[in-house]
Amino acid sequence: MITVSHLTKRYGDRLAVSDMTFDVAAGRVTGFVGPNGAGKSTTMRMMVGLTRPDQGDVRYHGVSYTQLHHPTRVVGSVLDASAMHPGRTAREHLRAMAALSRISTERVDEVLHEVGLDTAADQRAGGFSLGMKQRLALAGALLGRPDVLLLDEPSNGLDPDGIRWLRTSLSEFAARGGTVFVSSHLIGELEMFADDLVVVGGGKLLAAEPVSTTLARGETKVVVRTADTAELARLLDRHGVGVTVEGDRLTATGTNLAAVSQVAFDERIQVIEITEASRSLEEILLDMTGATAEFAAA
Amino acid sequence: MLRPFPKFTTDFTAHSDLKGPTMNTLFATTTILDNSTVQPAARIVTRTRQHDMGAVTASIRSEWIKVRSLRSNRAIFGLTVVAGVVMSWVLATFVKTDPYEHKAFTVANSFMAATWLTTVLAVIVGILMYTSEVQHGTISHALAAQPARWVNVAGKATVAAGVGLAMGAIGIVATFLSGLASGMPLGETSTMPAVAGWGLALTTMAAVLGVGVGMIVRHSSAAVSTALVWTFVLENLIRNMAPANMSRLLPFSAANGMLGIRSAGDTTKTLAAALSSTQDALLFGGYMLVAVLVGTALLYRRDAE
Repeated sequence: MITVSHLTKRYGDRLAVSDMTFDVAAGRVTGFVGPNGAGKSTTMRMMVGLTRPDQGDVRYHGVSYTQLHHPTRVVGSVLDASAMHPGRTAREHLRAMAALSRISTERVDEVLHEVGLDTAADQRAGGFSLGMKQRLALAGALLGRPDVLLLDEPSNGLDPDGIRWLRTSLSEFAARGGTVFVSSHLIGELEMFADDLVVVGGGKLLAAEPVSTTLARGETKVVVRTADTAELARLLDRHGVGVTVEGDRLTATGTNLAAVSQVAFDERIQVIEITEASRSLEEILLDMTGATAEFAAA
Repeated sequence: MLRPFPKFTTDFTAHSDLKGPTMNTLFATTTILDNSTVQPAARIVTRTRQHDMGAVTASIRSEWIKVRSLRSNRAIFGLTVVAGVVMSWVLATFVKTDPYEHKAFTVANSFMAATWLTTVLAVIVGILMYTSEVQHGTISHALAAQPARWVNVAGKATVAAGVGLAMGAIGIVATFLSGLASGMPLGETSTMPAVAGWGLALTTMAAVLGVGVGMIVRHSSAAVSTALVWTFVLENLIRNMAPANMSRLLPFSAANGMLGIRSAGDTTKTLAAALSSTQDALLFGGYMLVAVLVGTALLYRRDAE
């Protein structure tokens, strides 16, 4: 359980993160989304005490990160997957991290195995692919057997197999009671395994809610192919349904499949094709963060 | 290549490998090993002053692993040995007589000849101990794992001191043995322990000074070139222009003093103004302390990169 309260960070005149307050629940995977420059990275850095907030704090089970004794045994984090010395082997990299938190060297071998790097353990990280670096970084986060994982773009550089493995692993981690907070720009990917979403834009919190709630924000559209679009449009309009027509295709909003097909049936209008198109999570999120899109270029 | 991906087997309820008195006593009273759910309350321990003090040894171990595991550091140790061997051989074979003292070189009066170079190398090792971590982003691992940032500084400074001492020692031994092997007479040996002692104190402090400089400058090439330009160019310029009783206060004038080095730039005035070895050591130690304290203050003020 993570509690973020009134988190604020200012860089000169720019408010990078503005009064952000949200909770991240245990036992669930929470996706952290927003356009570039929305304040995601700054927020995550404040969550592990690397950047000092101007106001507010982040608590884990009620204790601020910087007040935790052996914080890496509570919170495992990957903020920069390439944060490793190229001349150091994977094993030595992890041993140095383990020593600082008084974690045994056996645990180092264990996490190397868990992320599938045992055969590469004694190779220098400089020769690693981005995917291997991601896995080494993840191994570092797992070292202290944390119950909270904070991951910034963890699937970046992983191949499709690796992405599936990561997704399953994180879901299982959450299923065992762990807290997973993961940022990603691949919304479609998050949709597949996130339970909750924290949506930010322009340094502000836009929503913190279950994915299903976010999906429900999207209006359902009914698309009809019919020989008589003009007549169907007139009838639907009389029922107060928003209609747009394009060729033999009619799009109705603010209604549902059953209602539209009922109207057509009652008026004996031939329907060639009728489908319901719900808006994708990506489209919904783009709409939500659209107002802050000027930050995407910043 | 890589094996197929195994599942995470992390069971964060098994704490058998976690050490540390507070954690152990807590877990001993908590029966969570057979439970498949997380019991977070047992893991939450608030940091205390005692924890921070105790964490210094953990930081030292971590820093030592970092130093030991890099080829570049092993190469610098090798370079220290080579410099000592070559120096004695050149003095014994070609130079033969001290140009300032007009005395023949013996092992006893030349076994510290390479220590000045070791000192410069030790400064560079110290600088890189910090700047390479900034460069590669690993400093954030250390700061995230140990939010009491001074603990990380203490660990680095201690390991740097050890490395500086070791570099000084192997440099001296290499120079000494190479001198004997090159056929130099042993000479008057009574002053050797004291001379070696000041030299070792210098290389030890030089590495720690390097950590401080690295923490202030943060970029490897900028910090190393600053140190080299200061040592080889700026100090010499200042020494030629400033009065002797001021230039004697410069850090590498103090270093020269600790090593008993005379140089072509020395005049009767500069020699008369020379400080005692103890004063020089205190002066150099002062520079070291200021660099580390300023670096630590900046580490607290700045956000980690």
